[in-house]
Amino acid sequence: MLEVRGLCKHFGGIRAVDECSFSVEKGSITALIGPNGAGKTTAFNCISKSMWPTAGEVWLEGTRIDTLPAHQVTRRGLSRTFQITRNLEDLSVLENLVVQSKISGFRALFGPAISSAERDKAMGILEFLGITRLAHEEARSLSYGQKKLMDFGALLMSDPKIILLDEPASGVNPRLLDEIIAHIRALNEKGLTVFIVEHNMNLVMALSHKVVVMAHGQVIAEGSPGEVQSDPEVLSAYLGVSKKAAVEAAAQTASGALDG
Amino acid sequence: MSTQLDVSGVVEARKSREETLATTAGAGRQAWVPATLLAVLVALPAVQVFDGFNYVLHLGLYALMYIAMSSSWNILGGYTGYISLGHNVFFCIGGYFSGMILAYTGISTLITAPFAGLVASLVGFGIGFITLRMRGPTFIISSIALLMVARILFDNWNFVGGANGVTLPQLTIDVQWAKIPYYYAMLFIAAAAVYCSFRIKHSKFGLHLRAISQDEVKAESAGINTRFYKMLAFAISAFFVGMAGAVWGEYITYIRPSIFLIILIAANMVLMSILGGKGTVAGPIVGTVLLIAFNEFFVATLGSSEINIFATGLVMIVALLYFPNGIVGTLAQKKKLPRFLDWD
Repeated sequence: MLEVRGLCKHFGGIRAVDECSFSVEKGSITALIGPNGAGKTTAFNCISKSMWPTAGEVWLEGTRIDTLPAHQVTRRGLSRTFQITRNLEDLSVLENLVVQSKISGFRALFGPAISSAERDKAMGILEFLGITRLAHEEARSLSYGQKKLMDFGALLMSDPKIILLDEPASGVNPRLLDEIIAHIRALNEKGLTVFIVEHNMNLVMALSHKVVVMAHGQVIAEGSPGEVQSDPEVLSAYLGVSKKAAVEAAAQTASGALDG
Repeated sequence: MSTQLDVSGVVEARKSREETLATTAGAGRQAWVPATLLAVLVALPAVQVFDGFNYVLHLGLYALMYIAMSSSWNILGGYTGYISLGHNVFFCIGGYFSGMILAYTGISTLITAPFAGLVASLVGFGIGFITLRMRGPTFIISSIALLMVARILFDNWNFVGGANGVTLPQLTIDVQWAKIPYYYAMLFIAAAAVYCSFRIKHSKFGLHLRAISQDEVKAESAGINTRFYKMLAFAISAFFVGMAGAVWGEYITYIRPSIFLIILIAANMVLMSILGGKGTVAGPIVGTVLLIAFNEFFVATLGSSEINIFATGLVMIVALLYFPNGIVGTLAQKKKLPRFLDWD
């Protein structure tokens, strides 16, 4: 479904993503994990075209998408959320959703802002997420968790084939997290492909069919959650091989936990 | 009673509440206010039957011109969030395009004004292609730079008269009626600009422009072709400014860079929109009327010196202190907007 071949993103001399290759199977839930600074979010940004990759190819269902601008990638069925939620603060929740819906040509562009079909669809999504009562609130007045849910709902508005979720669990309370996991599962069962970047190991191990591990901009392991957990390279990337590196990694994990 | 929850009732209730919300949102709109205002403005030139009201007509025309320009500016500056301080470049392009046609062929600008608007639009589209890559303060500076470049260009372009400009032929009708054709032309342009602004605000295009003004990265990832939309907004907002420039040139009977290409005109558009409330339909109109009214009042009481400009500035500062989002914008936010101003 989604195939990444030799993806590179360099910032000056820093190789944030270096020759990264992996694939996401249709109908699966795939997770991308790795220690802080491994280049996960950068890889994500390059796939969704929020950033232009330095080199490499990204293919979505047989079409090459790394040459397209971001809005066309979205129109081809790849939608994403952002780690730090990006909302359209002055717009209502309903409008935040409708903004993502496809428009069917130039005439629709000058038609009503929210058609009744879109209104029904958006309300259906809000009902599914259980935040219908917020439909007419301005996005700025929502709590962080509600914004995450809204972002998630907005994704569904564009009828995506694959969704990219950038740390859906960060800053979310455990109850809401359960809710989000349930939503992701429900959507995946309907055939939606899900690709997640996540720090929360519980979520990754419980949810995903396949895990891709990145470190220092490179893919170091790929496989089922069980396989990855016992992979010696993964362990060394997370825990370090030498004593010094282990201390550093532990400090990093601790600071990551504090940040998250 | 069973304990099983019946959800369909909830869904139905929600739906009916949705419908009432949708209808009340539409019912708050006061269509009769702009309609009455338009009727009064159409009838206004009748006072000239008694003669001696030329200044009233001039003020009306002047206000209508700025309503057209600030409403037009609002499409780019208010909805899309790109503050342009060089929008009078399009005013100049419109004025010169129609003015030169008038000077060489004698065809009135009242006929060529729409083409002047189109030319301004095309230039706007092209300029937007370059400058809309910038954002925030950088874009503002680029728009001022555009104004300066245009000023140097027109000052030294001999074909269009250089810094001395070109004198245009006057209309050969009695001075009592001479202002009336231009008045109606400006009324038409202003009405069209406001209507266009209203339609855009309520269209998908407007929703997408508002999304761009909030967060461009997010808008792009939502599937909006931000680049093209911004350029289109720029072109539309140049159109009415260009048209107004065409009519204004013939009205004052000469075109000169120092009339069109002074930053005061661009600043007026911006200040009027901001005072009234940028991003609202009624805001630029309210702002224009208030700013011109204050200016006239202070000219009348304090004389036409620097003092009157100072006083107008002071009023602006005080107004924005209490209405940070503009008068219409702030009142709407506090849900205290009088119904007759609720055009959105």
